[in-house]
Amino acid sequence: MAQIELKHVSKKFKDDVVIEDLNLTIKDGSFTVLVGPSGCGKSTTLRMIAGLEKQSGGEIWIGGRCVNDTAPGQREVAMVFQNYALYPTMTVRGNIEFGLKNKGIGKQERQTLISDISEIVGLTPHLDKKPQNLSGGQRQRVALARAMVKKPKVFILDEPLSNLDAKLRNQMRTELIQLHKRLGTTFVYVTHDQMEAMSMGDEIVVMDKGMIQQADSPLKLYHDPVNLFTAQFIGTPAMNVMNIRDVQGLELEAADRVGFVGFRPEQALIGVNKNTEGYCLEGEIITSESLGAENIYQIKTGSGVFFVKTFLESLVKTSRVSVVIPYEHLYYFQSDGERIREVYIRSQQLVSAGGL
Amino acid sequence: MKAANETVGIPAKGAVIGGSMTVVRKKQAAWKTAVNVILQAANVICLLALVLIFALPFVWMISTSLKTMPETMIFPPEWIPSNPVWHNYIDAWNTGPFLKYFTNSVIIAVGILILQMATIIPAAYAFARYQFAGSKLLFGVVMVTLMIPAQLIFLPVYLELSALKLLNTHLGLILPFASSAFGIFLLRQAFMQISEELIEAARLDQASEWKIIARVMVPLVKPVLVTFTLFSFIAHWNDYFWPLVMTTNETARTLPLGIAKIREVEGVATWNILMAGNLILVAPILIVFFFSQRQIIRAFVYNGVK
Amino acid sequence: MTVWEKLRPYSMVAPSIIIFSMFFIYPIFYMIYLSMFDWNFVSPTKTFVGLQNFKELLLDADFRQVLSNTTIYTLLTVTLTTGLALMLALWLNRKGVFHAFVQGAIFSPHIISLVSISLLWSWLMDPEYGLLNWAIGLLGFGKLEWLSHPSTSLVSLVIVAVWKGVGYNTLVFIAGLQSIPKDIYEAAALDESKPWTTFMKLMLPMLSPTIFFLVIINMIGSFQVFETIAIMTQGGPINSTNTLVYYIYEYGFRFFKIGYASAAGVILLGIVGILTIIYFKLLSKRVHYR
Repeated sequence: MAQIELKHVSKKFKDDVVIEDLNLTIKDGSFTVLVGPSGCGKSTTLRMIAGLEKQSGGEIWIGGRCVNDTAPGQREVAMVFQNYALYPTMTVRGNIEFGLKNKGIGKQERQTLISDISEIVGLTPHLDKKPQNLSGGQRQRVALARAMVKKPKVFILDEPLSNLDAKLRNQMRTELIQLHKRLGTTFVYVTHDQMEAMSMGDEIVVMDKGMIQQADSPLKLYHDPVNLFTAQFIGTPAMNVMNIRDVQGLELEAADRVGFVGFRPEQALIGVNKNTEGYCLEGEIITSESLGAENIYQIKTGSGVFFVKTFLESLVKTSRVSVVIPYEHLYYFQSDGERIREVYIRSQQLVSAGGL
Repeated sequence: MKAANETVGIPAKGAVIGGSMTVVRKKQAAWKTAVNVILQAANVICLLALVLIFALPFVWMISTSLKTMPETMIFPPEWIPSNPVWHNYIDAWNTGPFLKYFTNSVIIAVGILILQMATIIPAAYAFARYQFAGSKLLFGVVMVTLMIPAQLIFLPVYLELSALKLLNTHLGLILPFASSAFGIFLLRQAFMQISEELIEAARLDQASEWKIIARVMVPLVKPVLVTFTLFSFIAHWNDYFWPLVMTTNETARTLPLGIAKIREVEGVATWNILMAGNLILVAPILIVFFFSQRQIIRAFVYNGVK
Repeated sequence: MTVWEKLRPYSMVAPSIIIFSMFFIYPIFYMIYLSMFDWNFVSPTKTFVGLQNFKELLLDADFRQVLSNTTIYTLLTVTLTTGLALMLALWLNRKGVFHAFVQGAIFSPHIISLVSISLLWSWLMDPEYGLLNWAIGLLGFGKLEWLSHPSTSLVSLVIVAVWKGVGYNTLVFIAGLQSIPKDIYEAAALDESKPWTTFMKLMLPMLSPTIFFLVIINMIGSFQVFETIAIMTQGGPINSTNTLVYYIYEYGFRFFKIGYASAAGVILLGIVGILTIIYFKLLSKRVHYR
């Protein structure tokens, strides 16, 4: 059990600044997911917590202890690698046992620990096999078992599911969530997949260009993004964004200048509903995908091309449609991407007047 | 290195919190950099010593090749001859028909290479891409050949060449190496790595089988061909054993034999002439190595491992 | 499928197969055949003597010395070359221009003609004016006779072989080390593995295919040593450096005892064959890492 704190952490590779002044608290017992596009510094952050990479500045605290000068093995963290990093010359048992042996744990105790763990992850029949004779999912379990057996304070997982096929990935996702519940240990998880992040994490840290964009619960991130990056990064399809120049019939009053207006595809309504007050766009459906429960339309309007998602409705067949976004579902951003929350709409266009 | 690592763990165990820690840290950091600098310097000195073990003999060779004979008999030795004797090279060259040795070397090494290219490309392609009855057995022949060193079979081959009246001829020195099991092995691997789809695409473009090989496949394995060329040329240019065994007179003898013979012509102690001759043999290879070190190393090392 | 299409693969492999059969496969059988005859190369008749040549060989004190010389030479060369190369590889396995230069320097003897190396080292090992005696003099040792004394001659040849081969071996080891994924070391660091444990339990086992490869090819190479002996010692002094291939060469080309030399060749064939089989046995057991 341990809380992780990163204080003013920075990382430079030669002259490249990868991470600058990063401050983050990962709560004890949380399932925290670091997510962001590739090269955003999430893996580097993770590796610095594990001690595989030394930060160029700042401090890292794990469980109330500054680990700046602590070797990776002594930080009481365990890691699951993207490519599993299993020891190819050792059996599954050997892989799990290696860390225990190095810790100087007695043979008897090792035996019990290994049989317990392999029971949990379902590896008991494979204990004497070599990793290269295992399937991807089994290797993943060995990597997990190897990490778990050390009873670490912190679990670190670096894109552990990216090498699995889609079906297995979903299964392992659930297993990991259950595992976290059972162990109650702090999990720090890195992924570039926002869906994975949303479905697994109870805390999500969105990163971009070496900076934390937002650290919040999944729902908070979705409903209340603090900036344009998070707004667009979370959700599929991504949030639709219009430059203020393309927005017509909407006079806004705010403390800061509004640069962009956005709305989520699933919050727009297709077909005019006279009772809804909102911003209205008219356009042409260029593509429509039906996934059964939901339909996704691509609509070309005078303000650009947008996605609209509907649930449990029949597919709209007409090509020209009007789309209404209730005012409370509009998001406003400054031109630098910062969210503006206090916006008053001075003149509301009439729905029937149309957006063009 | 080790010492520096061990220091890393010390302050963490104390887990001192507060103002005094930064001072300790700074001192430790300064000490750590100092240790690091010393270790790095020691490392560089050891590396230079290592290089000297391999470079000094060559330097010594050059130095000797420019000395007079009495100068070679000074002990402790002098590194820089007071009066460089360039004439040693001419003397070395004149101990035998060196122009002939040189042309023989070129004819044989180039001849072998050309024939090898003509034989190994189709063979490797066939083994990689066609399924035919007996292909396993025939490839077995290649693998067995790969394992048989020339040193093992020189006696029967000598008798064979003598029966074919090929002793003391260029052809006799070229023919046994007109194909290379190693080359077939390497190229076959390369051909196997090319995706089947590419050939199918070419077939759909109505290319003939020969055209597919010549225009599509061979260009794709060019790096392997370059590698093999370097390997084969250097091996046969340097070869001493085979020309020694398969010749009884000067007509087909090569440069390494000529150099080795200087000693018989000039006498045992003429190290200056001998080293001058030696340099004539070594310099071209070393110069080539200097400019294409990476390629040559890959040719010898990485392909040997695969 | 036309007839030509069926024949095409055969026509493509034929030239190579003919060459190999003529100059590699057939000579083996010819050599085995010759080993059972008494023949002096010039006389038109070969006399069948059965296994007489082998019997004579094994009774010949010189040949036994040759076998023991070859074995000692091989064992020393292989252990020293492989062992040193492994240590050098661990040391030199770094990126950068300087390390590339050092790697190139230690590799360079590998591409140089053995004639050059033999001549150069004969001079370096000259008992009177050689550089080597000067160098060990600097370290406070007296002059050695190197190649000219039976007690040091074989070891001197081993030194030359190690000097030539260690760079190549080192680079092969470095290639092997670089094929080990970096995250294995990271996992080991998280498992609190000490450097020595990481080396013994992870690196060495993962390098084992490379080690086998090098040990076997070094052994096969050393068993056939010829050039350095022909140029530096001619098997002397007092037979102390006479090895198998040189022995075969002398009996074949100087004494014209073709059958006898062939029998020695068959023994060498047996040794090389056994080594090759061992290698392939190990190779088939070799684990394929991802």
